[in-house]
Amino acid sequence: MKKYALLLLLFMMLGGCGPWAKTKGAYNGNGFVVDLPEGWMRSRQADYLLITRDGVLLQSVVVYRTEVGSSFKNTKKKLTKGMMPQEAAEVILDNFASNQEYLNFQVIENKPAKINGLPAFKTVYTYKDKDGLRYKAMYYGIINNDSFYGIRYTAPIRYYFDNDSKIFEKIAGSFKVQ
Amino acid sequence: MTRLCYAFFLICILAGCAGTNLPPVSTAGFTLEEDEKRLWARSKEEATAIDQSDMIYDDRELEAYLNEVARKLQPPQVMKAVPFKVEVIRNPLLNAFAYPHGAVYVHSGILAQMENEAQLATLLAHEMTHATHRHAIKEFRHVKSKSAYLATLSTTLGGAPLIGEVFNILGAVGTMASVSGYSSDLETQADMEGLQLVVKAGYDPREAIKIFAELKKELEEEEVTEPFFFGTHPRINERIRNYQKLLRTEYAGRNNGVKNESTFRGKIAKVILDNAGLNLKAGRYSKAFHGAEKYLTIRPNDHRGHFLLAEAHRQRGENDDMEKAMAAYRKAVAIDVRHSESYRGMGLLQLKKGDAAAAKKNLRQYLNLMPQATDREYIEEYLKQM
Repeated sequence: MKKYALLLLLFMMLGGCGPWAKTKGAYNGNGFVVDLPEGWMRSRQADYLLITRDGVLLQSVVVYRTEVGSSFKNTKKKLTKGMMPQEAAEVILDNFASNQEYLNFQVIENKPAKINGLPAFKTVYTYKDKDGLRYKAMYYGIINNDSFYGIRYTAPIRYYFDNDSKIFEKIAGSFKVQ
Repeated sequence: MTRLCYAFFLICILAGCAGTNLPPVSTAGFTLEEDEKRLWARSKEEATAIDQSDMIYDDRELEAYLNEVARKLQPPQVMKAVPFKVEVIRNPLLNAFAYPHGAVYVHSGILAQMENEAQLATLLAHEMTHATHRHAIKEFRHVKSKSAYLATLSTTLGGAPLIGEVFNILGAVGTMASVSGYSSDLETQADMEGLQLVVKAGYDPREAIKIFAELKKELEEEEVTEPFFFGTHPRINERIRNYQKLLRTEYAGRNNGVKNESTFRGKIAKVILDNAGLNLKAGRYSKAFHGAEKYLTIRPNDHRGHFLLAEAHRQRGENDDMEKAMAAYRKAVAIDVRHSESYRGMGLLQLKKGDAAAAKKNLRQYLNLMPQATDREYIEEYLKQM
């Protein structure tokens, strides 16, 4: 009996009671749904969608929802209802630019976009971390009524960013508000 | 037996005192102690990391000026023992710190806040005294378990917003110097000895207290209940009282010291403008306005100051901000008719107001002047929709 109980426990652990779960199919988040790529891992612990294939320092995709008017960590600016995508992009980018851990922050691209018919912005930026490693990020932002949705892909510039940028675009393209 | 007890007691006292009873570097025959050499080596590593981190404000002329002021404060034999070098860190928060081996870092935020060279001298003298009086090694020796202390710094400060980010970049020695500060006694010593250097160099000691008044004002505006920066010990009101006492007693009647306001403002004008820009990004509108207005008192005909003021009004978007933004953009283009971003600003305001004709004119002018604008696609979309 003890042997079976132990086997059951081992099975449960292997089956995914740990902090990461294999990605599969669509993910229903906090007011949104996105299609996830196969072969990646999804964090069970984050209260937003966080997925990676090789580890979050090598690539990560984050999808989250926040209420318009919520506070940001690094800027006192806030999103407001009815903001134009360009204005929303300015707030998001200033939040990143004011992050003391993002050194040499530079905006490469900032333009309007559409995510499943919703007006959005798309921005691409780079920064260095404290160890001098250069990162690149692609970020879609959508204001929809009282909610703001962020869809972000981050990876080291060298080798990793270009590897999965197309996968990210597919994820972003599948995004729907629920 | 009693004699043994007394001897034991004396040894304990001496051992305790020896740990922190270090003469300043100006003492004849000064040499570093062994653990101090290791602390200096660690400090140099951290300072090198800062210097290579893109945090340093790139302005050689400004750096030369700051180091010139530092050299006025210390005699050559002290500079030889601790080769001070002052650099500016691009950071809008009010802070400055010194490593024990002489690297001194001043945030652009606190530099932009000052009014004259006497205030700068007070700040530098305070920080340099931490190094000349060997406060870092005294503090480290005072702590029984250094690894536990450093770990505690990491966990208690590392998780706090802003402070945590600073810790990740600075390292343990830098964080102790810049964030947690030294003990109350050592901070008081830095205040007193520092003020002595300031007076000796011919500066007006009455300016010393004004830095704290500005710091206190910032803390009230930001609703910070207790400052981490610029030393937590003693607390800011206590430090203001310390300086007030010194000005009433030891330095009473010292009215004719040097301030060098004009030279100082000329040297730091660009820092004021850039720092106002950092504050605008951080959403600290009142500081952004203050910085832009202060810059315009030094450089009234610089379109960049008017533009920054306009942007601050536009981005805050309260009450009569839109009218004030428009007025400031107009001043910017009156000075520099080719300043493209001012046309964009005016166009965006007019777009929001529903004045399509005026918005089109200004947004088209923006794209004409800046064909490679990174936000070109937004503007083209607005023009299509109008």
